[in-house]
Amino acid sequence: MAAIRRSVLDIFPDLDPALVTEDRSLQELGCNSVDRVDVVAMTMEDLGVSVAASDFRGVRNIGALATLLRRHA
Amino acid sequence: MPYGIEALNVYAGLACISVPAMFAGRGLDQDRIPNIAMSQRSVGLPFEDPVTNAVNAARPLLDRLDEQARGAVEVLITSTESGLDLSKSVASYVHEYLGLSRNCRLLEVKQACYGATCALQLAAGFLAQSATPGAKALVIATDVALVDERAGYAESATGHGASALLIGDEPTVLALDGGAYGCYSYDVLDSARPTPEFDIADGDRSLFAYLDCLAGSFADYQDRVDNADILSSFQHLALHTPFGGLVRAAHRMLLRPFGLSAPQVESDFARRVAPSLVYPALTGNLCSGSLYLALASVLENSADLDGSASQRIGLFSYGSGCSSEFFSGIIDSRSVAAVRSMGIGDQLASRRELDFAQYLDLLPHSLKALVPRQHAEVELGRWSEYLDADRSLLVHTRTKDYHRAYEWHGPLGSP
Repeated sequence: MAAIRRSVLDIFPDLDPALVTEDRSLQELGCNSVDRVDVVAMTMEDLGVSVAASDFRGVRNIGALATLLRRHA
Repeated sequence: MPYGIEALNVYAGLACISVPAMFAGRGLDQDRIPNIAMSQRSVGLPFEDPVTNAVNAARPLLDRLDEQARGAVEVLITSTESGLDLSKSVASYVHEYLGLSRNCRLLEVKQACYGATCALQLAAGFLAQSATPGAKALVIATDVALVDERAGYAESATGHGASALLIGDEPTVLALDGGAYGCYSYDVLDSARPTPEFDIADGDRSLFAYLDCLAGSFADYQDRVDNADILSSFQHLALHTPFGGLVRAAHRMLLRPFGLSAPQVESDFARRVAPSLVYPALTGNLCSGSLYLALASVLENSADLDGSASQRIGLFSYGSGCSSEFFSGIIDSRSVAAVRSMGIGDQLASRRELDFAQYLDLLPHSLKALVPRQHAEVELGRWSEYLDADRSLLVHTRTKDYHRAYEWHGPLGSP
């Protein structure tokens, strides 16, 4: 979660960090499609993990993204 | 001997619509227009299809060749995700209407938006082993749009047209760096055309796969090319451009390891990448022709190239499904002159701008462009206002027993 929060704040420096919660989606935080892949790519780089594009199917919020990335760590 | 692109032309249709008009017509959020970084997209007309786009892109290249050079075209490859038949290729029609030699090899390839790049590499390899001095290959990337409101934001970013590349051993436009390439491919269903009537796309997955492939193919390039790095090895970059916003994100990703400040990244983008986006921002995604439109855009819009010595350009081709390649080549002021002489910018500017109602009127025809029909007549008279009497273009006129027929419109007649 901390790594995802860092990536989101890297793209939106003015965002309140408390808004990056497990139940919210990146879309709700104002991320467009390019921002979303940016957040995912930056977080994977940060954590040194690699997840296949097809595994993101069904990821609907930040909590689910964190779980998926944790599984590949 | 270096091989590469001797001449390059792009045909992006006769009609276009502004992206703000598309967004307004579909009730999309206008605030998102800067994200896709496009101002217009090309729109197909009922007498246009993958064959006419291909022929209309390639004929101006062939008209400049003498008879001997035309006869030296030993290979024709069409690259398309807009095939007209599961067996008979678009190339077989294009070969006929371009009047190429009956001794020329023909082939159609399909690999989504990556197809033309693979065809370019295969053609260069073929020419390197040809026994004919001065042998050439013609690679044409040609596609049409099959999107409507179901495609969401992608409807505004999908283009229509063809890029034609004449390949040979006098590579004025782009001399390929021999052996300098990197590939990265795997199975994913990010976007596809499961029937001749519509596209499916998973935007997030496709953008992710694009960036993943860029990282993977550049890493493979670095394994093959000693000391290559994205910041200092290339004076220019041209990337497959589904929409400009993705290319901006891709550039940001490539530079992240260098720890530059945001203004430094922005300045690098403006100098090395932005010139590649000028033309794509006026057409939308031309599928596998998109990278070559981006190359033309660099050559015509980069201030760094006039009168300069040779410079290296890095190119990235991505096709959904997915497959990708990062490769490089050399360009110089002769490349600029060669592409400028084709008048691509003037042709883009001369397209008729449609309003949203006119676009909707054309849409049912565009969506049927690839549907096989036993018999059909194109009501050319209904659409003749789009044809300029002074410009020679191939038009689709009818289909008889599944065989499409075309005619030359304009002063020149058949080549």
